[in-house]
Amino acid sequence: MFKFNIYLYWGLFILLISLGFFFFFMVSVSMDISIFLELKLFEINSFNIYYLILIDWISCLFISVVLFISSIVIFYRMNYIGTYSYSSNRFLFLVILFVLRIFLIILRPNLLRILLGWDGLGLVSYCLVIYYNSIKRYLAGLVTCLINRLGDIGLLLSICWIISFGRWHFLFYLNLYDFYLFNLIVISSFTKRAQIPFSIWLPAAIAAPTPVSSLVHSSTLVTAGVYLLIRFFNKLAFNNLYFLFLSVITIFISSFCANFEFDLKKIIALSTLRQLGLIMRSLFIGLVNLSFFHLLTHAIFKSLLFLCAGIFIFYINDNQDIRVIGSVCTLIPFTTSCFNISNLALCGIPFLSGFYSKDIIIESILNQFSGLAFYLIFFFCLGLTCTYRIRLFYYTIIVNSKFKCLVLFFDGKSWIKLSILVLTIFSISFGCVILWIIIIDFIYLVFPLYIKIIPLISVLLGFWIGFQICEFSRLNFSLDLYIFTNIWFIFGYSYYLYIINYKFRINYKNNLNWGELYGAIGISNYLFKVSNFAQFYSNNNMKIIFLSFLCWLIFIIYFDSLYK
Amino acid sequence: MISIFIYIIFIILLILLNPLSCWYIFQFTLLLIILFFVLNPIDSYFSSISYRIGIDYFSYGLILLRVLIVSLIIISRNKIKSIFYINTFLLICLFLCLILICIFCFMNIFIIYLFFEFRLIPLLLLIFGWGYQPDRLLAGLYLFFYTLFASLPLFLVLIYLYLNNNSLFFEAHINYNSGGFIFYFCLIFAFLVKLPMFIVHFWLPKAHVQAPISGSIILAGLLLKIGGYGVIRISFIFEKIFSKYNYIWYSFSVVGAILVRLICLIQGDIKCLIAYSSVAHIGLCLIGIISISKWGVLGSYFIIISHGLCSSGLFCLANISYERILRRSFFLNKGLLNFIPRISLIWFLFRVFNIGCPPRLNFLREILILSRIIFYWSFSSLYFLFISFFSACFRIFLFSFSQHGVYNFLYRCSGSYVREFLLLTIHLIPLIIILLGLNFFFI
Repeated sequence: MFKFNIYLYWGLFILLISLGFFFFFMVSVSMDISIFLELKLFEINSFNIYYLILIDWISCLFISVVLFISSIVIFYRMNYIGTYSYSSNRFLFLVILFVLRIFLIILRPNLLRILLGWDGLGLVSYCLVIYYNSIKRYLAGLVTCLINRLGDIGLLLSICWIISFGRWHFLFYLNLYDFYLFNLIVISSFTKRAQIPFSIWLPAAIAAPTPVSSLVHSSTLVTAGVYLLIRFFNKLAFNNLYFLFLSVITIFISSFCANFEFDLKKIIALSTLRQLGLIMRSLFIGLVNLSFFHLLTHAIFKSLLFLCAGIFIFYINDNQDIRVIGSVCTLIPFTTSCFNISNLALCGIPFLSGFYSKDIIIESILNQFSGLAFYLIFFFCLGLTCTYRIRLFYYTIIVNSKFKCLVLFFDGKSWIKLSILVLTIFSISFGCVILWIIIIDFIYLVFPLYIKIIPLISVLLGFWIGFQICEFSRLNFSLDLYIFTNIWFIFGYSYYLYIINYKFRINYKNNLNWGELYGAIGISNYLFKVSNFAQFYSNNNMKIIFLSFLCWLIFIIYFDSLYK
Repeated sequence: MISIFIYIIFIILLILLNPLSCWYIFQFTLLLIILFFVLNPIDSYFSSISYRIGIDYFSYGLILLRVLIVSLIIISRNKIKSIFYINTFLLICLFLCLILICIFCFMNIFIIYLFFEFRLIPLLLLIFGWGYQPDRLLAGLYLFFYTLFASLPLFLVLIYLYLNNNSLFFEAHINYNSGGFIFYFCLIFAFLVKLPMFIVHFWLPKAHVQAPISGSIILAGLLLKIGGYGVIRISFIFEKIFSKYNYIWYSFSVVGAILVRLICLIQGDIKCLIAYSSVAHIGLCLIGIISISKWGVLGSYFIIISHGLCSSGLFCLANISYERILRRSFFLNKGLLNFIPRISLIWFLFRVFNIGCPPRLNFLREILILSRIIFYWSFSSLYFLFISFFSACFRIFLFSFSQHGVYNFLYRCSGSYVREFLLLTIHLIPLIIILLGLNFFFI
């Protein structure tokens, strides 16, 4: 008989729910319906609080993709850490909690309910980051949780702001809200999305176990912020130069830093940051459905990338340095090929799933006039992306292995291999399948040939230059450039905060005491002094005191008589 | 209502007569009181009145909380039978319960004042008699003198009011208009010290740290709430004076809430941190009360209830690790996740509840109070950003510093008793269940 396996059970269960939601998605797209449920919970002085559920094609598709990825991560995890240990059970339940929170975010078009999931996402991801016991995980968990908390506070403020409109659900009220409210929501969604001022936590959170980072930091947690903005979309309020600038900066810095980084997972995290920057760039110029589409495809191949990286790290003794990984393709060719397929899909090579969304987004950005500098930076970043992609390719396939000489591992038949296979198939075909089904706002774009092939040229140039850089890396690069790996000081800045906190702890303790000084301790000290004073005189010979008193008395009487 | 008083007086006899099984009797009789009490009809105004005792929905929830938490004292001790002079101990706890019920029931300000002061005597006996360190003498003195010092002006004001109105019944002086700042100060300051507000909070951490676990449960769960209750009642009566001068305490508590949260970050003692965190909570509660409005008062009422359950639960958790490791320091209570893993789940839940993570009471009250803050003075919502952020900071600090890391005594592990789970779940469940009956408060 089959042995009861709780991992298998939950994985299949989540997979079934995901298929069900995909069916709902097909129905709602083909019949063009959306369902809106409203239950009244209670009212306070004419302010009603409703429980809302919205089911339309966006939410159904998003849920089905997220659940699909999470079920695959659960299957993967079954072989990755073991099935029957206590801590792996903890992992399973944390993932299920995470999925539940995602449900709460996606199905509710109500800011209060969104916060319900939003807050929990940060907390559960905190628990997942500190899954292993070490000081690095501890700090990464703190950074992750606190920055997510900042976003929660921003949403809390906006919730209390919306109270003046009488309702918390925002579907019909989007045109009434003022710009400050939108800005607040956009800024608070920056934190979950790791946009540039708050981008510390995403590279730090790779301290989590690898399946977690494939689930959390590529597909679900970071996309929750984008999903909120898609729901809240208001063309006038979002078309803001500062937001555009921030997203471009995010793209630039993250793709630049990924070229100098040697930590495999950190490179992938930085590339996530870069893709999110692209998504936000397209969202801020008004391409709602396209950015949503790119979000989904990105989620699938990025989680594939993380899972493959997890296998490399697993076999090479938990070593995350890409220089050690060198030429794993001879030992695990299947995993390496999956890894590189998802790499190519990220670059947007034609007819892989990344191409369909990325190509239209790039061309619409070309169509949008926003200054020459934006263009130049954008294409530069496009090249940079391909540079670090080719770097990964180079280190996994071409370079000789620098690991121990006597080592043997291979792709066995296991759940790991199956889960990677399924995700690979999807990361090839998902883009065109979805493009057949949904109706994305078609834009008719006409370009001259030399502009049309600029993206292609920059991609190829990026490949070539990246390959050259990798070949000559010993000549060109030294440790002086290590500074680039830390997202240009932002990473170090969180560390400085940590140090300042400790110094503050020492100094602040002295500043605390004034309340005591003027309160209880001060008064009791004063009383001590007074009683010591009295004690001093009572210890002395009383005769002398009386005698001196008499002397003074006589003196006074004498002077008194003089003046009379 | 008067039946409950007679009931409690007869419990005293039962406890004194049975030295061996008195803790059974104590527990079950207190649970029976809850059953009796729930049957009372209540309304937004005083109802089920007998002999100048009545309850409305403020006092109703608070009394329920009181009796529940006093009954938890029995479960919170590890070996209840081996407590030193258990008869006397339970008698003191029962007296405290009776006094607190009196405070919430009577409709006369003077009697409330009387019991406010009377409550110090059993509390002092509890700290002196069953505390741990010799520092408890100083802690007791702090507790006694801070609260007594501030409440004498209130007594003078009460005499003044009685001479003017010939009555000290609640609602007798609605819209009492005369009186300047000194009058207002004398009225409110006694309650602010009992809350305690920032600046006059120094007695609280000392008393908490030195008290035994049952004492700190009572302190956290019950005593901090009567200050809030007093301010709510008084502010109903003297509405006009309060709306005139409230901005002073508002600014005090907004700034103080941030500062107290910063103080929390530098603590090295688990119990001390929890005590300071309750000061931080109460700062937010005070903001809600003195922005005189229904939402604010409701929000601070929810803070009072949720904080009573949360922080007494946290003290129980601190005591659980204290019973095993015999230390309260942060630097020795490390790696509890590997040591007692099941309890660490509850640590996490309590931490999350305290931050105000959604489907709990704490979340609702944060929204209620924040909306009031925006309406009262919209700029101070910026302060709220810092308040909420720092409170998250020190709670994560509390959780991760104690649970995460390397456990100092390597080759040990410990289970957890059913008693402890019972104790902690009794603290947790009401926080969620109250949300289902919120319509009750929004009449």
